[in-house]
Amino acid sequence: MSDEKPTYTEAVLRLEAIVSTLERGGMGLDETLKLYEEGAELLKLCKSELAEAEGKLNELQLDEIESELQSEKQ
Amino acid sequence: MFKNRGHFYETMTGSGQVTTGPLPIGQFAQLVKRTVAHDPLFRNQALKGEVTQWKQYASGHTYFSLRDEDGQMSAVIWKGKCSIDPSIKEGSEVVVIATLDLYVKRGNIQLVVQRIEPVNVLGELEKAKRLLLEKLNQEGELERTRQRIPAVPKHIAIVTGAGSAALSDMHRLIDNRWPGLRRTVIGVLVQGPRAPQEIVRGLAVTRALANAEVAKHRNQPPVDLVILGRGGGSPEDLWAFNLEPVARAILASPVPVVSAVGHESDVLVSDLVADLRASTPSDAIERVVPSRNEIEFLLDEMDERLKVASQRQLIDCRQKITVLHSRLRVAPLAGLNRAKGEMMRIASRIERATRQSLNIQSNILARCEASLAAVHPQRVLERGYSMTQTAEGSVLSSVDGLQTGQDIILHFADGSADAQIIKTQKNEGTT
Repeated sequence: MSDEKPTYTEAVLRLEAIVSTLERGGMGLDETLKLYEEGAELLKLCKSELAEAEGKLNELQLDEIESELQSEKQ
Repeated sequence: MFKNRGHFYETMTGSGQVTTGPLPIGQFAQLVKRTVAHDPLFRNQALKGEVTQWKQYASGHTYFSLRDEDGQMSAVIWKGKCSIDPSIKEGSEVVVIATLDLYVKRGNIQLVVQRIEPVNVLGELEKAKRLLLEKLNQEGELERTRQRIPAVPKHIAIVTGAGSAALSDMHRLIDNRWPGLRRTVIGVLVQGPRAPQEIVRGLAVTRALANAEVAKHRNQPPVDLVILGRGGGSPEDLWAFNLEPVARAILASPVPVVSAVGHESDVLVSDLVADLRASTPSDAIERVVPSRNEIEFLLDEMDERLKVASQRQLIDCRQKITVLHSRLRVAPLAGLNRAKGEMMRIASRIERATRQSLNIQSNILARCEASLAAVHPQRVLERGYSMTQTAEGSVLSSVDGLQTGQDIILHFADGSADAQIIKTQKNEGTT
C-alpha cells in the first residue's frame, strides 16, 4: 500500500482482502497480527471518513457564491 | 479629399448634378434610403434570428430587434401589415421576410417586416444537437473514461434551480439516506435564454470549490461530486443541457459530474458527456448518496469478521504450538525406536539375502556335478571303448607319429594293459 492516505473505496477493498485472507487462515502469528493491525487501522479510517461527510448545508444563488469566491481570492 | 467625396456623390446619384460645399445630412439620408431601397439584396430578404425587446404598442405597430450571436438589427411590423403568431415572444426564434429601410428622421436603419414566423425551434435545435454530438464523438469525448463516483462523497455540489421542486426532492432524499451530508447548492436558471450561461458559471463555481486551496480557505473539504439537475420539462425547456458550452463545462470538471435532468425518453448531450447519467434528480441521489445506516452496518460487520478471523487464526497458532511441543517431547524416544526398527529390518534383509545366495550357489554346483559326471572318461570306457596312452602318459588320438615297436598303455574300464605297436595303418580319407 502506498504512503498516501487511501480513499474510502481503496480502504474498503483492502479491508475485504485482509478479512478474507484471515478467514482463509494458514498464516503465521506475525502475519496474523500485522494483518489485524492493518485491518483495524483501515476500519478506523473508514469510520472517520463517514464522519467527515457530515457538514453544513450551503445554499447560495450563483451571483452570491461567485462574489464570495471573488472576495476570497483577494 | 472632398472632391473625391463629391465624385462619389455624383456617381451615387447618377444625376450629373454638381454641388459645391458640404451636403445637408437630410439629403444624404434620403440618398441612403433610396440606395438601400433599390438594392435587391435588401428587399424581401428572408432573415433568421432571436426576438428581443418585443414591444407591441397601442398604435398597433410592433417594434423589436432581431439578434443572434454575431449581431442585431431593429425591426418593425406596421399595424395590420402581417399576422403575428401569438406564440412569438421575447426569446423566440423567428424567420422574417423584411426589407431594409432607413427612417430618415432619426437615421435609423430598420427592417420592415412583411412576414414573421416562429421557426421550427425543435427542428433547428435537433440539428445543432446532432452536429454537436458528432463533433464530441470525433473528439472521443463520448467514449472517454468516466471518473469514478466516490463511495462516500464528502462534499456534493448541486447545480440546479434555486427553490425548485427537484431541489427539495433531492434534499429530502439525501436527509433520508445520510442526514447532514455536506452539500453546497448553487442556484442557477435552468431554462430560458440565460440558462446555458448560468449553468456554465455554476459549473465553474464547482470547479473552484473542488480546488483544494479554495476549499481549505473556505474551511471545508473540496467538492468531490457535482450533481447538475433540474426537473422534467418540454424539450425546449431542457435545451440548455444540449448546448456545447454546458457539455464543455461538464467535460472540464475535475470531479465526477452526474447529469440528472428529469426526462423520460430523450437523451440529452449532458447525459452523454457526464460521468454518470441519472434519469431524474431523485434517481441521482439514490445512486450517489449511500445510506449511512447500510454503510455503518457493513463496516460493523467487517469489524466483527476481522476480529473473529484474527482470533481463530491466533487459536490455530496456539494449537500448532501445543502440537509441536508434545511432538518435541517424544521426539528422542521415537527416534531411537525408529533406528532400532530400521536396524532389525536391515539385519533380516541381510539374512534373507545370504540364504538366498547360498541356495543359488548349491544349485549351480549340483548342476555342474551332473554335467561333469556325464562326460567322465570312465563312463566311455564302461561302454567298451579304451583309451591309449604313450609310455610317457600323453593320450593318443591319432596313428600319426606312432613307431613300430613303441610301448603304449591301453586303459579299460576295469584296468590297463601294456602293449607294443606292431604296425600302423591310417584310414583312407583322413589326414
